[in-house]
Amino acid sequence: MHSRKNQRDLTRTEKKRLVDAILELKRSGRYDDFVTLHRQYYVTDTERRPRPAHMTPSFFPWHRRYLLEFEKALRAVDPRVTLPYWDWTRDDTASASLWAEDFLGGNGRPGDRQVMTGPFAYRRGNWRIRAGVTDDPFLRRDFGRPSAPVTLPGAADVDRALKDPVYDAEPWNSVSTTGFRNRIEGWGIRGARGVANHNRVHRWIGGSMAGAASPDDPVFWLHHAFIDLLWTRWQKAHPRSPYLPARALPAHDPQRDRIFASDQPMPPWDVAPSQLMDHTRFYRYV
Amino acid sequence: MNPTDGTRGGPGGAPRPARRAVLRTVFTAAVVAGTGGALAPVLLESPDPGGRTQERDAVGPERFSEFYKGREIRGTATPVVPAGAQSHAGEAGAVAMTPGIDVSVDGRALHVMRRADGSYISTVNHYESFPTLVETARAAVDELGTAQLSAVSPHTI
Repeated sequence: MHSRKNQRDLTRTEKKRLVDAILELKRSGRYDDFVTLHRQYYVTDTERRPRPAHMTPSFFPWHRRYLLEFEKALRAVDPRVTLPYWDWTRDDTASASLWAEDFLGGNGRPGDRQVMTGPFAYRRGNWRIRAGVTDDPFLRRDFGRPSAPVTLPGAADVDRALKDPVYDAEPWNSVSTTGFRNRIEGWGIRGARGVANHNRVHRWIGGSMAGAASPDDPVFWLHHAFIDLLWTRWQKAHPRSPYLPARALPAHDPQRDRIFASDQPMPPWDVAPSQLMDHTRFYRYV
Repeated sequence: MNPTDGTRGGPGGAPRPARRAVLRTVFTAAVVAGTGGALAPVLLESPDPGGRTQERDAVGPERFSEFYKGREIRGTATPVVPAGAQSHAGEAGAVAMTPGIDVSVDGRALHVMRRADGSYISTVNHYESFPTLVETARAAVDELGTAQLSAVSPHTI
């Protein structure tokens, strides 16, 4: 079992190892396979097909497994590397060390939003976007989206979600108004609430992270590691609250063939949410 | 890798949901994916045998063409029914009416999907949705900056 750290506590050497491992996955083509996979499993809740990743109860376990696969690939390159997490309630400015030259690089420049600093800047020659939403081959960021300003979620936003004692609720999609899952996934619901937590962080970074190929930005993994940690915190706060739905939905429920109950295997790994409830078999957060 | 591959042992074998829901979602997916072959445009004003045209997530016709921040944005939402669907008019209430969605920025297709509340998501803004297509297109321009949409988006699979 390995440890996942807060990114702000990484040493310079740990940051370099992580960056080098990510660059090696990019060089070998494996990184882009992960981007493609996420894109394939982004299924919206009006589509009549299985929806394991977003707008769905299995948002947490699906991404847990997705991160485990990525972390395994990183550790095959360098066994000393683990995925760190970014607590965006704390390191919530563009001047955070996360965005420094020796780690993920900074904001995009005005105009084309091209990231010009750090190891993932296009001009450094190691980070070419191949199948992005735009024609551009470079990573894009637009912190805070000045055209329609967005702020990062704060500790109070997270606490409100953590206080909900129920994991998820009908109709098990993006318009579930209660339940920990959608409070963290954070779909805006007209007349009820705005975009929150997970979704709002994607928006705040903007550029590549706002779109269909969001894992093109390596911060994706650090963001989702924190989402994964929040799931763990919620489980600790509500030890008697199970994953929901616990069993397959009844035949007449329109969500029956689209979402994943506790024991129903999720593609592409054929792993059920129940098999991913406890991460301590794999890693721990420190 | 096909998202439908891994469902064995998962949800399956369920009797079909209400016919209306099936049609609505199937054709939403088909239209958005650009693979709908047998779809026939109809007028929104055409008689709705089930009298349920005004359901919450039914989308009215929308057509716009404008310059926004120097970019030409266009869009149409064309209500469609599956060809031959009239034969199901008496079944489960109504024929599904779903829009054929076509949005572009500077002539490049902006792929748009829908959420369960009827709002729209685009490939550019994947983590927030908008009540109308014109707002979806404007938000895409805001997010794109000076970038052009990819000529070929791999998002539809």
